[in-house]
Amino acid sequence: MQVTLKNFTKTFDDTTVIDSMNLAVNDGEMLALLGPSGCGKSTTLFAICGIHRINGGQILFGDRDVSDVPSQKRNVGVVFQNYALYPHLTVFENIAFPLSVRGDSKPDIEREVRAIAALTHIEELLARRPAQLSGGQQQRVALARALVRKPDVLLLDEPLANLDAKLRLEMRSEIRRIQLETGITAILVTHDQVEAMSMCDRIAIMNKGEILQIATPTDMYRAPVNKFVAGFLGNPPIVMLEGRTSGDGRFLVKEGTSLPLPARLAGMPGDTPLSLGVRPEHFGAAGANRVEGTISFVEPQGRETLFDVTLDDGVVLRSIQPARDDVVFGQKVVWPLDAEKLLAFDVSGRAV
Amino acid sequence: MRTRTSLLGLAFVSPALALLFAFFLMPVVLTTVFAFTNMSTSTGITGGSHVITGNLLRDLGNAGVDDDIVAALSEGSFSVTPETLAAAAEAGVEPRFLGEIESSLMGQSFEDARSFESALKALPSRPTRIRDLKLATEPFERSILNTRYSSRAAMETAIASMVPDAPVDTVSAIAEASYTGWRWIDGGNFQTLLDRPETIRIVLNTVFYVAATLAFNVFVGLFLAITTFYLPKTGAGFFSVLWLLPRITPVVLYAVMWKWFTWDNGFLYVIAEQLGLPAFNYMKGSVPTAWATIILVNGFVGASFGMILFSGALRAIPVQQLWASEVDGASRWQQIRRIILPQLRWPILFVTSYQTLSLLSSYEQIWLTTNGGPGSTTTVWALEAFNTALNNYTGNLEYGMGAAMALILVAVGLILSILYLRMFRFDELVNKPRIEF
Amino acid sequence: MTRNFSAWPIYALLGILSAPLAIMYLFLVIDTFTNAPPGSLIPNEFTFHHWRFLWDPTVTGDVWGPTLTTFLFATSMVVIVLAISSTAGYAISRLNLPFRRFFLSGIMVMHAFPSVTLIIGVFLVLQYAGLYNTLIGVILVKASLMLPFGVWIMKGFYDQVPWEIEMAGVQDGASRFTVWRRLILPQVTPGLLSLGIFAFIDGWSEFMLPRILAPSANFQVLSTYLNVVSDPNSTTYNFNLFKSVGLYYTLPILVLFVVFQNRLMNIFGGGTKG
Repeated sequence: MQVTLKNFTKTFDDTTVIDSMNLAVNDGEMLALLGPSGCGKSTTLFAICGIHRINGGQILFGDRDVSDVPSQKRNVGVVFQNYALYPHLTVFENIAFPLSVRGDSKPDIEREVRAIAALTHIEELLARRPAQLSGGQQQRVALARALVRKPDVLLLDEPLANLDAKLRLEMRSEIRRIQLETGITAILVTHDQVEAMSMCDRIAIMNKGEILQIATPTDMYRAPVNKFVAGFLGNPPIVMLEGRTSGDGRFLVKEGTSLPLPARLAGMPGDTPLSLGVRPEHFGAAGANRVEGTISFVEPQGRETLFDVTLDDGVVLRSIQPARDDVVFGQKVVWPLDAEKLLAFDVSGRAV
Repeated sequence: MRTRTSLLGLAFVSPALALLFAFFLMPVVLTTVFAFTNMSTSTGITGGSHVITGNLLRDLGNAGVDDDIVAALSEGSFSVTPETLAAAAEAGVEPRFLGEIESSLMGQSFEDARSFESALKALPSRPTRIRDLKLATEPFERSILNTRYSSRAAMETAIASMVPDAPVDTVSAIAEASYTGWRWIDGGNFQTLLDRPETIRIVLNTVFYVAATLAFNVFVGLFLAITTFYLPKTGAGFFSVLWLLPRITPVVLYAVMWKWFTWDNGFLYVIAEQLGLPAFNYMKGSVPTAWATIILVNGFVGASFGMILFSGALRAIPVQQLWASEVDGASRWQQIRRIILPQLRWPILFVTSYQTLSLLSSYEQIWLTTNGGPGSTTTVWALEAFNTALNNYTGNLEYGMGAAMALILVAVGLILSILYLRMFRFDELVNKPRIEF
Repeated sequence: MTRNFSAWPIYALLGILSAPLAIMYLFLVIDTFTNAPPGSLIPNEFTFHHWRFLWDPTVTGDVWGPTLTTFLFATSMVVIVLAISSTAGYAISRLNLPFRRFFLSGIMVMHAFPSVTLIIGVFLVLQYAGLYNTLIGVILVKASLMLPFGVWIMKGFYDQVPWEIEMAGVQDGASRFTVWRRLILPQVTPGLLSLGIFAFIDGWSEFMLPRILAPSANFQVLSTYLNVVSDPNSTTYNFNLFKSVGLYYTLPILVLFVVFQNRLMNIFGGGTKG
């Protein structure tokens, strides 16, 4: 089922949270709404499932306009951040609830619940109550309950936020597996870029109520449309250098250092203000340009080691490299910079 | 965007609205309205009729109404009307005689029995016996005295027929005065209150009662909360249950227990006797002991309110703060004074304001113990209002006056409760519904 | 916290302060089973004589009728309060209503407002409605006066149920009524129970309303019964008897209090009238 938002607008009291947003989620696709807290991604989710009323625009499921359809009739499954399992009901009763509300017969309910429990691997938990489950198990039950009705759309609101690191990893692939197996259109709301990139077909990145870019995770990482997107994706984050073009294919950081511009920007007229983004993996690995500096910080991360390199004029570049302990704090290094991979943004923050 | 009104919500609040309307809003309205009337047992509460009584005539005479009119109203008159003819037929007057009366005297009135009788004597088929004649006149007699008229117009017509030459405004004044139901007296009740010497006495009693009981409640509540906070669990539990008991003991039994404690041959009496101290009925025997009783009776109930709230606030203080203060060398007293009490500021303010309001309007315990005595030395405003309107031994309950006294309490209560609502920011507890469909 | 102090002075102070209460409640129990010689407080014989009112109606009149009426009075009032508070509380906690804010402030003002001052107005309302001197009238009044408190308390309990449960229920296709009935109400049953017990104790103890609003009715509740029986100026002046009747009357709520003490503390703390 394709989900389309047309000029979707939402205000709370007098504050416009989302102004005229457009979004299309393809049938069978899993799309992430990614953004910092307060960017309107949960508001969008709540509007899609019918908890919030929209102030303007349309929400379409396929061709059906559901803008004024209450939640009960939208046939949307939602997994909430805290799972919202009904504490007084057993797991079986929790999953059966949507079916029993619909008036299904007992044998049908029994069969459907068993089937969905098998899909989510919780067959042996059906007699328990939510309080007796671990976080990951609760998550599976919530998924099962959301899916048992065979909804047109599955919405996931920060589904992994309440899990510890190990379970998060496990549930990430589980959710993706279940989504792929059911072939359901799914929207994932998250503030975690790793979650968004690892689980979803496409990412819609949001800030201040606006969708900045919709793209596949790799495209978005490689070619962010603006400074915000570039800064939001990537861990450790990109380093932004402010400065101007020299006119002869180089970039003068305002502290003084001169760096090469990527070839595609070599023709830019001089004295154009720019921001140059250097991702840590593009410094210290390969590239034609050599940059000299002093190691000012070393952070071993096991498989990789993260370095801060302070250049002579105080500019700090970050580098991530396969674990190495031959470089120590205070050491002078001359490392290559892959100029072709650098990202550049104009004064308004747009990528150039 | 319009938020759709939830029909379920309307269905869910309407029973509550109906009951609150009937038993909160309507009483407030009625109290307000009737505070400006002289409603009492004798006027009735629904309305009345128009009656001229002997007393009223005397009052009218004193008030300067013409003596002739008063005299005329006090006498009966005889008139021949379809109604009186019907009454006479019912009383068994001979039909032929009645027919003659109807044909020759219809519509006439006679001021006294003699002139009517002589008119009757002129008729051919009059009864021969004088007793029968007198009996026959009786149904035609119309006396206005003690006759009920349902409307004022009817009363005016009646007066006018009795005294045709009376001036119109006198007639209407008499009709007005003859109304037996309650009437508007504007601020009359409040004026009476102002003029009464007891009023100031009752106000002072009320102030003293509220202040003293409040002080008892807050200090004892604080003392109980702090001591039980420091005591081991069992000891603390025992005392908090003991102090909670008065709160759940039915007030009638509670009053009985206090009576036993303070009455003749009661507990204190016996103890005092054995110690050679003055032994008497402490509850009613002297003013100071009556006051002490009232304050303790109410205080022992009220102190647990403070105790509960203060204990809750105390438990909310992070215990690390207390440890830290002990590490810093604070004595127990310093700990209470410097760390605990400042954090109890809001609960203390809350208990004080809340109990001011409930003490101002409370009278149940006083009513069941001293009942304002001895004399009216321990009568408070709420008790006086209640007694005036609903509990008067003489049998004439002055609803209007009671309502006026209650109205003052209602106004104070409303103002204070709205004030507290603001002060304690209760309105911030309202959240918008998050499901907008 | 360390106990770097001696508890005994505190016990002594507390003991003195609490002495009247302790004595009254102690003798409330003792005096119903014993007799003491005149001029003394120390009992010298054990007896069930003071409890004979239970089987001998000549002592104080029939006690079982009033007991039944009191039970009926308290339970009907509990049912009304629970039914109305649980629905209205939910509505103002969760549903879209016009004037919702106003209604809620009204409830709060009414809650703080001393309702006894309305007794004259209530008396007139009952007179006009023809419910004066009837049990149903007193029940309605008692329940209504308790409503602001009940609605307020229930609203508090509903507020604590996570919104997500409600949202999940709606997403699962349930109507708001079904959500309330099958998902939310089970979450607030502890609150409902506490409110019910509190209301029962309150109704069982109520004296003023039956006394004033149904003074010459053909029914009596135990509070008015005890009030008539226990007049110290009466000829049957006998505190042992008064206390026996009183203890009999109070026993059910004492039991409730002891059993449900912790639940009730929540409600007491929630802002009852002091």
